[in-house]
Amino acid sequence: MKPPPFEYHRPETLAEALTIMAAHGDQARPLAGGQSLIPLLAMRIVRPIHIVDLHRVAELQQVSVADGRVSIGAMARQRDIEHDPRMPGLVRAAVPHIGHFQIRNRGTVGGSLSHMDPAAEWPAVALALDAVMVAASVRGRREITADDFMIGPQMTSLEPDELLVEVVLPIRNDGFGFAEVTRRGLGDFALVGAACQDRAVVVFGTGLRPQRLRAVEEFLNSGGGTRAEVSAVAASEIQATDDIHTSSQYRREVAATLVGAVVEEARTRGGVA
Amino acid sequence: MKVTLTVNGSRWSGDVPARQTLCDFLRDELELTGTHVGCEQGACGSCTILVDGEAVRSCLMLAVQADGTELTTIEGMGEPENLSTLQAAFLRHRAFQCGFCTPGFLASAAEILGSGRRYSRQELRDLLSGNVCRCTGYEPIVEAVFECQR
Repeated sequence: MKPPPFEYHRPETLAEALTIMAAHGDQARPLAGGQSLIPLLAMRIVRPIHIVDLHRVAELQQVSVADGRVSIGAMARQRDIEHDPRMPGLVRAAVPHIGHFQIRNRGTVGGSLSHMDPAAEWPAVALALDAVMVAASVRGRREITADDFMIGPQMTSLEPDELLVEVVLPIRNDGFGFAEVTRRGLGDFALVGAACQDRAVVVFGTGLRPQRLRAVEEFLNSGGGTRAEVSAVAASEIQATDDIHTSSQYRREVAATLVGAVVEEARTRGGVA
Repeated sequence: MKVTLTVNGSRWSGDVPARQTLCDFLRDELELTGTHVGCEQGACGSCTILVDGEAVRSCLMLAVQADGTELTTIEGMGEPENLSTLQAAFLRHRAFQCGFCTPGFLASAAEILGSGRRYSRQELRDLLSGNVCRCTGYEPIVEAVFECQR
């Protein structure tokens, strides 16, 4: 339960960090808040030769607003995002569910997205808000849609030399809903959850990555129906997996129920769903 | 790697291995064994300490990441003959049985109380849920923290 030896790098600028990533490529792991990576190191699930600690790269901690969109630096902490009035309503609803406050004191937005835990809140929020992920390497910057970014557990479309540097979200303060079910109240990992922004509907914790429910969205776009009808459409579309914690049937049924709830929540907040 | 930090008001400077977690550094290097290590994966909260006044899991930080920070461990929170208000409340409420989780609870509670906000018992239960007590002594812990808000 102790991390294996590695070479530790602590760049002070993004340019320096990208140079290290370019030199060491897939033998390096960026260290953001460490709330997921350090346990993986301790359990020896990952054994990178190089650790690139990003916590001194001030330019990755910036949050800025322009043209109705908020740009969140990858190293912005959950703690700072949680109470930031510039954040979209869906973000403010979801972030308090990320771990406990002690975890949010260290955990970062970019770390959570790049770690890509299927039960994590940020990937689901990014997918529901059609977030734009900005990746950087010494080769330049590129934008990746949230859908293209997330592949599966601990898998993203980032190249080995790339870092996620910012995530750009539309600022919306109505029309959102968020709910999740855990075994042990607030702070525990979600068994399943659902997020909604207007007619964009996402479930997470159900399968290998968050799922946009296109059939539900189509149903809502063509007039929608009662909460029970929305849940029924969701239940027929959700692709759920079994694991040690619960069955695929439980996941599908509970997630479908949550979809009905978040769509209703979004409506009561004045959404277009 | 060279690290300079402040622990309970005392400056420390020296070399630490990059892979050493902060909790192991505190216990093995500084012999501050009041920080208890339970799960070593961030789940139990026993190793919670204050880093620049914020409660964090010391098992989820590398010692090198604490370079330049101010740490407060249980050894910096009070003396046996001069308990902090919170420690005295824990004692009064018998808010521990075996005591393994207590330093972590005190660190979390220190940040909660430091916010200056008054929380309900239910809010405190949620806030304290990041610390696990296997003797299941939660009621007196919540009561002790609740009382310190007054």
